[in-house]
Amino acid sequence: MPAPLKLVLVTPEKTLIDQTVDALRFPLFDGQIGILPGRAPLLGRLGTGELEIEADGTKTSWFIDGGFAQMRGGVVSLLTNRAKPVSDLDPAQAKADLEVALSRPATTEEQLAARQREQDRARSVLALVNRR
Amino acid sequence: MAKARQIVKRLKAVKNIRKITRTMELIATARFKRAMDRATEAAAYTRKLAEIVADLSRANLKFSHPLLDPRPETKRSVLLVLTSNRGLCGGYNAGVLRQATNQLAESARNGEEVELEVSGKRGISLFKFQKRPVERSYTHFDDEVPFAAVEELASRYAADFIAGRIDRLQVAYMQFKSASKQVPVVETLLPLGELGGDVEATADAGVDYDFLPSAEEILEEIVPAAFKAQVFKCFLDATVSEHISRMVAMKGATENAEEMIGILSQQYNRARQTQITSELAEIIGGVAALEG
Repeated sequence: MPAPLKLVLVTPEKTLIDQTVDALRFPLFDGQIGILPGRAPLLGRLGTGELEIEADGTKTSWFIDGGFAQMRGGVVSLLTNRAKPVSDLDPAQAKADLEVALSRPATTEEQLAARQREQDRARSVLALVNRR
Repeated sequence: MAKARQIVKRLKAVKNIRKITRTMELIATARFKRAMDRATEAAAYTRKLAEIVADLSRANLKFSHPLLDPRPETKRSVLLVLTSNRGLCGGYNAGVLRQATNQLAESARNGEEVELEVSGKRGISLFKFQKRPVERSYTHFDDEVPFAAVEELASRYAADFIAGRIDRLQVAYMQFKSASKQVPVVETLLPLGELGGDVEATADAGVDYDFLPSAEEILEEIVPAAFKAQVFKCFLDATVSEHISRMVAMKGATENAEEMIGILSQQYNRARQTQITSELAEIIGGVAALEG
């Protein structure tokens, strides 16, 4: 039986979660990753999307936006710029954000990339909200 | 009763002032605690970042990133000055602004072109008075500085630096050392000197990580994140220091008011006594005159 898994979710402003969990799923830069107790050490870049936490038989889900994941010695640390419980997401706001991102002019490559990032972020928020 | 009445008036005014400064002290104390909590919470993020950087450096990586590259010469730089929106906080703004002015003078001597950016009404009004052009000014960084707003600023600086539009970014602010010590400093944030501050040597060195995608790419992402966290820390430090300064200043003001109340009431009692004595003397004099 491996040691229990601990999750620490921090943003630059606050430590949002610091608890023992049974399992985790979150987006890395290229797709979802699932983590169970006893996983090998890992250092990765986070993507944008849903963080699913399973603890004591209940599931909670959060929206996270980029950052880093570190797994070391039974502790998963997620460092992200923004994190919100999915229940706090606002569908109207998400829609508005997507419209803004879609209508933004982009002429240089940097702007294009930034616009794409914003669209992706807005879409993943929308997807989460709509599933609820 | 002329003199005594005047003293009573002043006494009332001073008592009112004491009430106000006492309240401001209490408010500053409460805000200081909140700001301090926020700063402590934020430290967790920086600590984690530093830990990851330390782990990365054990992976025998060469740290190279545009934000870390020192420039051979500094032609254009940005000086960001963090002051408060409100006054009555002792030497807080004066200290920061003195540092900023010194830095501006030094840059001018070295022939650098400095863009001045100021946050806080106090700083804005000083530079207006000095008739020094301010590139950008902000008044929306108040009590609870949101990370998103700071991130916006930091991203712009990082982009400007990478594109070569600026060669240096400096921040003048009140650095928080401890609850009893804050120092005004001018800190150079770009080019980034070191990543994530001091990294303590952990005993279990050499964890064999899976890097996703690769150590280099993570590094590429972590450098801007560390930079943003540092800028954010400057803002948090400034807020905490401001509240401490205000607390101390208001405590001093309250004590001074109390002292003054003591002196004034003594003066009032004396004036009243003198008046009574002289009135008595007049009455006795009058009686004596009638009898005589």
